[in-house]
Amino acid sequence: MVITDARAPDNPVAWANEAFLQATGYEAAEIVGRNCRMLQGPATDRATVARIRAAIQAAEPLSVELLNYRKDGTPFWNAMTITPVSDAQGVAFYYAAQADMTHTHQREVTMRGTNDELERLVDARTHALSAALEQKTALLHEVDHRVKNNLQVISSLMLLKARRTPEGEARDALQGMAERIGALSTAHRLLYSEGDCAHFNLGDFAAEFLADMNAGLDPERHRIEADVEPIAVAAAMAAPLALLIHELTANALRHAFPDAREGRVSIAARRTECGMHLTIQDDGIGLGAAPPNPAGFGRNLVEMVVRQMRGTIAWRDGGPGTSVEIDIPLQPAA
Amino acid sequence: MGTGNAAADSALRILVVEDEALIALELECLLDDLGHVTVGIAGTSAEAIALGRSMAPDVALVDVHLVDGPTGIEVARALSEDRRTTVVFMTANAKRIPTDFAGAIGVIAKPYSERVVASTLDYVADRRAGRSGEACPDGFLPAPG
Repeated sequence: MVITDARAPDNPVAWANEAFLQATGYEAAEIVGRNCRMLQGPATDRATVARIRAAIQAAEPLSVELLNYRKDGTPFWNAMTITPVSDAQGVAFYYAAQADMTHTHQREVTMRGTNDELERLVDARTHALSAALEQKTALLHEVDHRVKNNLQVISSLMLLKARRTPEGEARDALQGMAERIGALSTAHRLLYSEGDCAHFNLGDFAAEFLADMNAGLDPERHRIEADVEPIAVAAAMAAPLALLIHELTANALRHAFPDAREGRVSIAARRTECGMHLTIQDDGIGLGAAPPNPAGFGRNLVEMVVRQMRGTIAWRDGGPGTSVEIDIPLQPAA
Repeated sequence: MGTGNAAADSALRILVVEDEALIALELECLLDDLGHVTVGIAGTSAEAIALGRSMAPDVALVDVHLVDGPTGIEVARALSEDRRTTVVFMTANAKRIPTDFAGAIGVIAKPYSERVVASTLDYVADRRAGRSGEACPDGFLPAPG
């Protein structure tokens, strides 16, 4: 605590208490009679000093924190409240109460340092994670590109061999394989197209599949129709579902309409409570009327794929034609 | 299956820019089935640009990834400078195509079906003949704008 004489030249210290002397390291005799600016030093903030001077000139009270220096030259943060004390002639004294805020300031500085360090660490970690994500995304694109390109190569291989094979069973088999690969390719092309790697839209697949199959048919005689809801299924089911739908449709076209018989194949899929229900139906000659097929690869493949998806299948000789009803359980949509 | 219905006036002279020999060969057969003429097959960007300059094809089908890297973009830019040539990308790498499509009119995504190749070429033939009636075929993604 310090009292200064406002009426003496340069507002000198008139009295300082023991606490002030201890805080600054000066003897009373070294302080009394001198202006308090003797405590300022090289790092003292000039703007704060100017505020103090302005308050004293205007005789207004003021609370500030100022970096001051002890007698031994060490700095300390001095929080002070300066109050003018007036009598009838005007300001007689200034009364200043002080507190050493050095520890508080040190804590603030340390805290700021810790915060800066934490932010730096978070930035570095975020940067590393983004880089890793970028790398993974690039890898996914690369693998996706390779799978698609390889499907194209496999399909080209099959078709090239088919072209060089005389008309007959072998050629039909090669073309059948190329068609199956085509169905897988359509599924794969749609897999990552919407940026969603986890799901596959069965409705989109059906639309493309239908266009591809119908392009190879004589529209006067045969037609394929689809009524497929936009069901989102897990990406892992894209390939088996594509194969299944292709196989049943191709089977119907191959066996249901002998001797230039005209007809239609319809594909329908709808969501059920815990999965999906798929119907593939034709208005052809029916199962019983078709000659027995000893190879029966198509039907085998279909039953295998349905089992793989933990579904059930029923073949019905519907009047007219054949109807295949399949139920497949689906994971609840995420 | 090929419709083989390209009328004499809509038969296109096509340059195939594709580094995968099997795909290129099968594509050539398919184009032949469709009634078009393959005027050359190039696997590198240098070959593609040289063939493009000497043959001035009606259409160039360009893969993004070639023997010398993802240089199909440059090839598209170079070939589309000649206004006689319509460039169509044919790639499994559509994400690499810049937003201006490097002068190409669109992209056929691999793995493609024969139907999409056929209908895209019909569409290109119509556009080149100034017939704009035909809608853009599905499976073919046109360049924006």
